[in-house]
Amino acid sequence: MTRSLRLIGIYAHRTFLEWMTWRGFLVTLVLGQCVTPVLGFAVWSAALPDASNLSTYYISLLVVQLMTVFQLDHTLANPIYRGTLSHQLVRPHSPILGTLGTCFAERLWFVIIGAPVVGLLVFLSNVPLVVANVLLALPALALAMVVRFLFTLALALTAFWTQQAHGIVAFGATLTFLIGGSAVPILYFPDPLRSVAESSPFSAMLGLPAAIASGSLNRDQVVMGYAWQAVWLAVFLIVTVVVWRSGVRRFTAVGG
Amino acid sequence: MDRTIHVHHLSMTYRVPVRQEGLGAALRSLIHRSYRELAAVDAVSFDLFAGEIVGFIGPNGAGKTTTLKMLSGILHPTGGDADILGFQPWKRQPAFLRRIAIIRGSQPIGGPVELTVMDSLRLQQLIYDVDDRAFKRNLGQLNAMLDLRTLLDRQIRALSLGERMRCGLALNLIYRPEVLFLDEPTIGMDASVVETTRQFIAAYCQETAATVLLTSHYMADVERLCRRVILMDKGTVRYDGDLRTLSERLSPYKILRVSLVGAKALDLSSFGEVDEAENGTYDIRVGRRDVPSVTARLLADFPVTDLAVLEPPLDRVIDRAYRTGVA
Repeated sequence: MTRSLRLIGIYAHRTFLEWMTWRGFLVTLVLGQCVTPVLGFAVWSAALPDASNLSTYYISLLVVQLMTVFQLDHTLANPIYRGTLSHQLVRPHSPILGTLGTCFAERLWFVIIGAPVVGLLVFLSNVPLVVANVLLALPALALAMVVRFLFTLALALTAFWTQQAHGIVAFGATLTFLIGGSAVPILYFPDPLRSVAESSPFSAMLGLPAAIASGSLNRDQVVMGYAWQAVWLAVFLIVTVVVWRSGVRRFTAVGG
Repeated sequence: MDRTIHVHHLSMTYRVPVRQEGLGAALRSLIHRSYRELAAVDAVSFDLFAGEIVGFIGPNGAGKTTTLKMLSGILHPTGGDADILGFQPWKRQPAFLRRIAIIRGSQPIGGPVELTVMDSLRLQQLIYDVDDRAFKRNLGQLNAMLDLRTLLDRQIRALSLGERMRCGLALNLIYRPEVLFLDEPTIGMDASVVETTRQFIAAYCQETAATVLLTSHYMADVERLCRRVILMDKGTVRYDGDLRTLSERLSPYKILRVSLVGAKALDLSSFGEVDEAENGTYDIRVGRRDVPSVTARLLADFPVTDLAVLEPPLDRVIDRAYRTGVA
């Protein structure tokens, strides 16, 4: 375990250094991820100027988006397509450690580049932030990171079977945008759809931490949200392990 | 000698989709796909011993790279077994992977190309648990053999192909693997880099007693490094043994290279088949048994200034083996 954590740290450090040469690309990548929440913030603030927690919601959503989005369709699917995954298979550790390290490095870059955008938005909007709500949302944010990582990983691993992994991951991102509370906050969904969306993995990955941080949920809703996050984490963990093992078996059967 | 690699009836059969030409067949294949079994490697067996450098040769599609991938753990075979240093390769146990290396001439470096060579070496040190003392010692030796000094602080992406190969060798040997799988290590290199690489491989094996299985389409690599060759064709081993014996078996002749006084063209066809004639120097193909008598006749009948008895070029021997098989 200690060795695995150390290797993840090494890979994170290496990827962080490696991506330093892609600074310009990273800036556009991070800003691209900011567009939707910032647009939602602008539109909903104008549409419902009295709903102050909506502004808080979208700023929180921006933070959640920056902390949970993963580019695994590039960082993992491309080595599968190129066959360079075989280089990782002959290293004396699980190839997934490299992927985890890459994701940590990616997170760090997103924080470094995204933090000024979040700060600017907080400064300009002067939204009320309740510390207790923010603290209550932090575990949900951590769980959202893990659930979205596993969800994106499972989709990216389809690269073992199809050349369309980029499209599949993009489809997942679209569903997350539509049902996860980015296009419209889930609280504003019509009722039957709302309860479906609240129990969906998309809310667990995106909208829930933002809704908690903005104080939009009562205690029962928060508890239920955490319960759904735990359920989806378990589901995606099982799915990912099965897909990973099956994919590697296929890769080692056909030679990449 | 210790046996390091034992391969027994190793097989790899791919299931490849096939269909007839035309739109109708394409539509039918959406519902009912047809497959054909393709035996890339078929019941291959051999043993390799510590310190051996063995040439693993054969035409394209012979199954060489597939075999190397199975022996390095990348591919899971469909049949047979292999034991390398006491491990089954495709289980990919860390203790096994720390003791082997696979180096491909087409992709000598598998890691990120944005890092410097030294950063990549340090990464290898951590991945393979090489302690600082051993790292410094190994790096010093690799540096001496591969002249890495001017490359260590450069990004991998900015290196030329030859420089990448030198760095790829250093990255894969910094942890001192005991078994090396070299897949076309000199592909695309210029003559001086090729020679450096060959010298390095020979020196590394002599020093560490590493076992090397080398595939190359350049027969000069094989001739320079390997006494033993395994000749593959259509997924099976056609010959496993001494390179010289193979040459003798496939080429029942030698080349007499004779230089005569004066540049006047002479008819030497009575001595054997004249392969080449240029500026008074002739290459005459002579049966192995006839070499002494033909040499004596040439020396008696002509003013010879130089004479050499040569083995036929290995390229031709192997080409003949590919085309006609090994009897």
